[in-house]
Amino acid sequence: MKRRETSLFWRLVLRVALVLCGGAALLSAAAWYYARAAADDAYDRLLLGAAIQITANMTVDAGNLGVTLPSSAFELLGLAERDRIFYRVVGPDGGTLTGYDDLDIGVDVTAARAGPVFLTTEYRNVPVRVAVVSRALSDPSFSGWAYVVMAQTTEARRALAGELTSRAMILVGIMSLLALAGTVLAIRYSLLPVDALAAALRARDPQDLTPVDADMPRELKPFVGSINHFMGRLDERVTLLQRFIADAAHQIRTPLTALSAQVDMLDDDDLDANRKRHLGRVRDRVSQLARLTNQLLSHAMVIHRSDSVRFKRVDLGDIARKAFRSTVPITVDPDVVVSFEDSAEPVFVRGDAVSLREAIANIIDNALQHGVEQRLAVRVRREDDRGLVEVADDGPGIPPDEWSAVTARFVSSKTGEGSMGLGFAIAAEVALAHRGTVRFLEKGERDFTVILDIPLYQEGT
Amino acid sequence: MSMWRQFGSLALGAALGLASPAGAVEGTRAFFPALEAERGRLVINGATDIEAMEPLIRDFQETARDVAIDYTDYVTNDLYRDADIACRLSQPFGDLLLSSSVDQLVKLANDGCALSHVSAETRDVPAWANWRDEVFGFTFEPSVLVYHKDFVPPEDVPHTHGELTDLLRFKPDYYRGRIGTYDLRQSGIGYLLAFLDAQQASTTYGRLLESLSRAEAVLRCCNNAVLSELDSGNVYIGYNILGSYAYAAARRNDKLRIVLPRDYTLILSRGALVPVGAKRRDLAGRFLDYLLSERGQDAARREAFFFSRSGALPAEVDGPAKLVESGIGRPIRIGPALLAAQDRLQRSRFIDDWTKLIVDTPVRLRPN
Repeated sequence: MKRRETSLFWRLVLRVALVLCGGAALLSAAAWYYARAAADDAYDRLLLGAAIQITANMTVDAGNLGVTLPSSAFELLGLAERDRIFYRVVGPDGGTLTGYDDLDIGVDVTAARAGPVFLTTEYRNVPVRVAVVSRALSDPSFSGWAYVVMAQTTEARRALAGELTSRAMILVGIMSLLALAGTVLAIRYSLLPVDALAAALRARDPQDLTPVDADMPRELKPFVGSINHFMGRLDERVTLLQRFIADAAHQIRTPLTALSAQVDMLDDDDLDANRKRHLGRVRDRVSQLARLTNQLLSHAMVIHRSDSVRFKRVDLGDIARKAFRSTVPITVDPDVVVSFEDSAEPVFVRGDAVSLREAIANIIDNALQHGVEQRLAVRVRREDDRGLVEVADDGPGIPPDEWSAVTARFVSSKTGEGSMGLGFAIAAEVALAHRGTVRFLEKGERDFTVILDIPLYQEGT
Repeated sequence: MSMWRQFGSLALGAALGLASPAGAVEGTRAFFPALEAERGRLVINGATDIEAMEPLIRDFQETARDVAIDYTDYVTNDLYRDADIACRLSQPFGDLLLSSSVDQLVKLANDGCALSHVSAETRDVPAWANWRDEVFGFTFEPSVLVYHKDFVPPEDVPHTHGELTDLLRFKPDYYRGRIGTYDLRQSGIGYLLAFLDAQQASTTYGRLLESLSRAEAVLRCCNNAVLSELDSGNVYIGYNILGSYAYAAARRNDKLRIVLPRDYTLILSRGALVPVGAKRRDLAGRFLDYLLSERGQDAARREAFFFSRSGALPAEVDGPAKLVESGIGRPIRIGPALLAAQDRLQRSRFIDDWTKLIVDTPVRLRPN
């Protein structure tokens, strides 16, 4: 089963949205409650006003209680346009004087003596709001309490409450959306440093194991600290490993030199063809081993120097010539045309002459070992603010998809016979230390070319 | 279907102890067969003269050719009583009720006896003629004075309620027994108009009532009864007659003249209501929509009720040009305020007072 990818952003947004939804629901419920109370309050006043108008129109005439129902009382209630009105006027004997006899609200009307009574109930299967108002009549011929029970259906109240609630809900909804949008922006903004850190890590050179020094918010410091701690340990391990390899190479070189001398001393004249072939192979392998050991040592030296030697102003042409001379053997195949072309004026770069020579020598050596068929050209030139050492050969070259691999540490091309060794890795290491690169030009109209590209020396840098 | 209805009406009749035909003049039944094969029958119980309704019903049938209409004409009070009882007993009582006594329809709606009806047509009805989408006013009928030209000299023609009072006061002998109006005991619309008169101008109304009493007013159950007395010359002036009936009578007899009082003119909008027991609520809605539609309103102005909300006064009617805009015309708002008129205590006392003054008081004791 595929695990769902978790995202900090969505986790936060989801939780904030849940809280906002809950809050909105709560606020809407509160709004509904208050709207209902407000609507009831507003329409209760009408109801009370109408009931009081009726009580005010009660008269006692010759010992009989009479009541005139003023139209205005009903007009008042008619302000709630769609609501039906029920009323009952109750005399002192509890009998219905006029109105709806069956409007029995289930409470004792005498409770209204202390003050108007409001209640919500049902009448004729519809919900009604009821007000009961009393009036004390004190006529010589007649005294007692009379009551007016006034009931009104609740359509207008509900409509008003609904309208108030829906408006409040719209506001709550808009606020929630704004809050959510704000949250999204805030989360995006606060997660930016994470992206920045990731970008910084991604953009790093694979060989760069120095601590990450980016401006990070406090919350990310432990994270960055952990990364740096881990990288420090990794760096230590790598250094240890390099030292071990260098030591091992150094240890191997002495017996290897002896072994090489011993092999050279072997006289192969009295050997049969088969053994002669075997001896030839042993010689090849020994020289290969010697070369690799030298490269390992050279690599270790280059790394060591890049950490410890102060760079100086050096002439790239000069260094390249020395490297060319030391690398191209006098015994080179006479069929191969070898050329060296220096720049017209010195190409000064800021660097370590020993490392640079080592790098150029390794590139030329590689070309001699694996590339050259008939032509090898070494050129030093200057392009804008960069100094270039180009090594071109007419061999098959290296396919573009392997370019990045061959410059990586301890990796060599799989094409061709044998191993290419550490040549390019050393060159790349040196180039990196000099803030330059090792580039390739594909074989085409021109020969396959390896370019060591180093920035020119500039005063003050 | 018709078996059921007969049964229903029998049951209702039994429940009512057979409604007595209180209004002998109004109280007829008419059947309008469908123009094509009948596919529905609409039962209308109305308190509106069949002569007024007939053109509308026939015009409606032009638009609904497969609908037959069974129309029964009641007196307003009987219609209300039967509808009220049917509603209480949850029995059917027609599909549509039409009544000029809108306070009774409002009371029915308030008691939960009405079904609401909403359509494009009902939305155009002004607020004062629509309550709860249950009671709709579909006509525009001023309450008018009608006089007989031969017996009322031009200088006597009253133009306000006050002038009528004064006329009866100054020429009591000439007009004694010659003023016709409703009998409030029998007519719901008569009661409503009198009640609203009393509210509009209580002093004027009191004086008018005294004058009517002194003039020994002729009391009739209904508009047409008063109008036929006018027609025959027994009565010279009719008071609080609905303009539609008055105009119809004036068209038949050119001696009859109509005056819209210039102090105030009550304007009644005849009400329509679909009762809860309606079996053909759909047809009732269709007919209601027709009544409220432009076509229905046009037909009503042309042939049935002659006055309309938007149109000018019909020719030869003496009244203010702009009835409603001038503030003289006072439309009776269909709404809960009419419940005050329907309070039984209020009603009985109002009618008692009226009866005491108009009917029971011996002539010699009447204020002079």
